[in-house]
Amino acid sequence: MVESRRRSGRLASVPTSRNVKVSAGLVALFVVVVAAVAILVGGGDDGSDAPSERASSTTTTATSETSADAATLPPVVTDDPRLLGAPGSSGVTFTEFLDFECEGCRAAYPAVEELRKAYAGRVTFNIRYFPLPGHQNSRPAAIAVEAASQQGKLEEMYRRMFETQAEWGEKRESQAGTFRGFAEDLGLDMKRYDAAVADPATLRRVESDFAAGSALGVQGTPTFFVNERRIDPRSVDDLRNEIDAAIAGS
Amino acid sequence: MTAAPAGTSSDAGVRRLGLVLLLAGILGLAASAELAIEKFRLLEDPLYVPPCTLGGAVDCGSVMTSDQASAFGFPNPFLGLAGFAGVLVAGLAVASGARPGRWFWLVVQAGMAFAVVFVHWLIFQGLYRVGALCPFCIAVWVATIPAFWYVTLHNLQDVAARPSRLGAVARIARENHGIVLTVWLLLVAALLVERFWAPWDSVFA
Repeated sequence: MVESRRRSGRLASVPTSRNVKVSAGLVALFVVVVAAVAILVGGGDDGSDAPSERASSTTTTATSETSADAATLPPVVTDDPRLLGAPGSSGVTFTEFLDFECEGCRAAYPAVEELRKAYAGRVTFNIRYFPLPGHQNSRPAAIAVEAASQQGKLEEMYRRMFETQAEWGEKRESQAGTFRGFAEDLGLDMKRYDAAVADPATLRRVESDFAAGSALGVQGTPTFFVNERRIDPRSVDDLRNEIDAAIAGS
Repeated sequence: MTAAPAGTSSDAGVRRLGLVLLLAGILGLAASAELAIEKFRLLEDPLYVPPCTLGGAVDCGSVMTSDQASAFGFPNPFLGLAGFAGVLVAGLAVASGARPGRWFWLVVQAGMAFAVVFVHWLIFQGLYRVGALCPFCIAVWVATIPAFWYVTLHNLQDVAARPSRLGAVARIARENHGIVLTVWLLLVAALLVERFWAPWDSVFA
């Protein structure tokens, strides 16, 4: 600054130092205000306006009661699972808590399909519904898939949801009609489908998965479990390694 | 910051503009390169967690997979790689003593105007639509805004010499360049703090 002032006689020293001083003052003021607000509001903030509607796997939050007592934890693999394809022979079950409207789940879908191919016949692939409240149509989507599963078309509907997500995801209006169209395409008995969608028991089935997931500490989707153990993969290889280890140990 | 005088830019002033562009080019290019590389890694492996995902609202993954991250149908960092490379070279030339003609500056102005509009659209989308932050994106904002501002002030030197009202505005802007820039950046910072207050609490508390 000094050098430039010296080099150019036309540079009035006043504006330069004023620019620096006022700027520094403003920055200091900003920091003080933020710090003051932090101290005043600090601990009392409940984080209610935390924006995380579209956040992916690691951060998509769902208010979860963290139940610490391992003894009271619900099982990851229940007596009434929703399986993709036939069960595997190794006794290892791979469970995904998913939200059909979640982009992270859509992104993971091809990887999960590859795992299913690679471990076909050996590992059981289980899905559990975890429709996040930030998504308008994730719960209707889960209900549609659950309704399809009652007619043995779980896998078909599951595929359809992810393959068409870009068309119906992130919409404000209800996509129940779109999902009904999928059901028709899959050749479902529409009377039974409509009845299942309207049946409170279908919603309860979805909600029971969500509640179990919350209790298990699932906070976002996709969240993966190998048997009863939660995996926090940082790559697809992590999933393979965990599955391999579980097969080797079983 | 560049000490641009009220009238015509002094040679030292232009040189400092070159330095601003050079630094903005380096910062922007580095950030764009990082974002482009992370984008490829994310495409290779959908479960890949970028290192800039720190939890809370600081989540590169959800920013990079958003539709807005490919605003023109291809990943935004490609624009940054090309654009900031140009800014860097322009800055290098000017800082080393090159004094390009008027139309050079007009082209740079056009590019920076596009960049600054695009960056503010991204700021809005990141804050209020995607709802997540990525540190390298912020680096791009911080590179773009001063570069745009000082190129604009440089190009306003003729206007500032006029006795008209517009000339007076241009003169005031040039005299208070640092204050305007600081207020601009602080406004963005304030929006950020306001929007992500709670997550920051949880990340850094």
